[in-house]
Amino acid sequence: MPILSKSKIKDVLNQLSQNAELFVPLARGDESGFYSWNSYQEGSDRLMLDALNVLLPPKSIVFPQTERMYSFTGNGTTVEIKETFESPQPRIIFGLRACDAAAIACFDDVFLTMGFVDSFYQARRDNTTIVAHACYQPGANCFCEAMGVDPTEPVNADVIIRDTGDSYIWESKTDKGEKLSAALGALLENKEAKSPQLQPFKQQANYEGVAEKLKGMFEDPMWEELASTCQTCGICTYVCPSCYCFDIQVKSWGDEGYRFRCYDSCMYSEYTLMAGGHNPRSNEQERFRNRFLHKLQFFSERYGKPLCTGCGRCIVACPVGINIVQIINQVKEADTSVRA
Amino acid sequence: MNDITLKIREIATRLLQNGQVDIFMGWEKGQEEYTTRPFFARRVEDVEKLIFNEYSIHNLSNDLLKYRDGQEKIGIVVKGCDSRGIVRLLQDGQIKRQRLYIVGVACPGMKDPLQAVKDNSGFFPATTSGELARKCNDCIEPNPVIYDELIGDKQTPRVGQERFKLVKDIENMSADQRYEFFEDVFSRCIRCYACRQVCVACNCRTCIFDEMKPQWVGRETSISDNFMYHLVRASHMAGRCIECGECERVCPVNIPLMLINQKLIKDVNKFFGPYEAGMVYIEGAKPPLSSYQENDPDNFL
Repeated sequence: MPILSKSKIKDVLNQLSQNAELFVPLARGDESGFYSWNSYQEGSDRLMLDALNVLLPPKSIVFPQTERMYSFTGNGTTVEIKETFESPQPRIIFGLRACDAAAIACFDDVFLTMGFVDSFYQARRDNTTIVAHACYQPGANCFCEAMGVDPTEPVNADVIIRDTGDSYIWESKTDKGEKLSAALGALLENKEAKSPQLQPFKQQANYEGVAEKLKGMFEDPMWEELASTCQTCGICTYVCPSCYCFDIQVKSWGDEGYRFRCYDSCMYSEYTLMAGGHNPRSNEQERFRNRFLHKLQFFSERYGKPLCTGCGRCIVACPVGINIVQIINQVKEADTSVRA
Repeated sequence: MNDITLKIREIATRLLQNGQVDIFMGWEKGQEEYTTRPFFARRVEDVEKLIFNEYSIHNLSNDLLKYRDGQEKIGIVVKGCDSRGIVRLLQDGQIKRQRLYIVGVACPGMKDPLQAVKDNSGFFPATTSGELARKCNDCIEPNPVIYDELIGDKQTPRVGQERFKLVKDIENMSADQRYEFFEDVFSRCIRCYACRQVCVACNCRTCIFDEMKPQWVGRETSISDNFMYHLVRASHMAGRCIECGECERVCPVNIPLMLINQKLIKDVNKFFGPYEAGMVYIEGAKPPLSSYQENDPDNFL
């Protein structure tokens, strides 16, 4: 089978970045996230392929935090579109984990199915090749398996790499993956190797039946208690690999301008503010509840799976220690028959 | 710390039992030994969950804002910096003193649960924290400045000889170097607004960043919009930051927000001082930059 020796990893990344923009997990200063391999600084940056994951998810590669859509010029009562900014250049995401691959699959559902195709997303997605990194050692806050994600078989992968210690098994899954294998040529060796064994999860979330049960818990008193300490900042939504809510805004000067979209967060009160001034989710508790219902119930009703892939980033970054695993389990265990 | 926990529970039980408070704000244990988190007890049965330990770092005074329009009487545990947050709210007219029962704890310095979770997350290269939280090393007042009841032995401030060392380093840079420095740190900002949300001095009902008509600050994560966000946020902190350090602690991309706040503290002290925000509550007193006089020699800001 094709094997990629860890001693050749930088050669491989250099080779792959020849014909595409290559994104890899890096620790950079106090941050960790996916960055372009071209910006890698030997000495100050650190390649995080041996780490569990990075804090900032790879979602911005297919769905940037701020993305220009088109520019325009006004002309009396008409408007002329000058340029659209679809972005079809080839990109490779190298080393993303199954949770993050599954989150991109959620984006695919949202932006490409049910009769809606988002051409900006599609241009990026169609030209992105995914080299996913199978997981065998769940971390302190991982619970992907409970959310229906197989950490050892990332979905949407064009290539899957499997860590065997001093090398990776290189398993191409699609035509795009075969092309990468061909481009690497002799950098891949042919040897026998054995996949590692999946280790047990420390976090135990029991999501079974939760989506269904939540239908009857919209008014449950649990939400008030859970939301009481939430600061309604946007950290959880921005570090989440699967949160995709966005706003479309405009910047203009004189007759010219451009439209862009940017991440929005259901934690902000402005998110649901309507023309005319009404806000259907004006308090923190309503916003908090909506976030969890969207993740655990509404998305599942529409697309048949939860909008949480168990990466654990919100648990890590929440300023007040709100823990989605505990919330899932609390819903699961709640005895709703005794409640008013 | 165990003594403090027991004392807090005793007080909370008493207050909830005799109806002196409706809510008692403290901390509870999270899933891991290092994941202490805020907890608001509403019933006597909740009291046993309350704890105080080396990870009780959150400044709970900010949570009083959630109840500013209500009538509830609130018990709250505060450390030195948190108590300055209460003074901030009282000075800003956000809550009435009579609604509060303040339990002060002389603070021995805290560890940061957020840092501990990050250290154990596998999302960062291995680090060796476990020591005092960064913000506690800059502490000028570990003892509560306003309280109804005080627990624990008086503590001494931990700030070293050079209080504004980092600020001075930045001041000594050339303008270009400074610009480069701030361009680098602000370019990281993901505009999650956590620094605003955890800030007790950020108590405007409608924040300028949420205004849409007109939209004062653009929503792009671009260097110009990010700069604008941080400049506006900082200028609103002048004379108002009570140095609890929560903004910097919760920032998911480690922007040195306290460095900016400390520059303002240093300057307000120099130009309008001597002054330290939130150190003492005197009813009706007007701290620097919170009043305007007709005969002010400057006609704008």
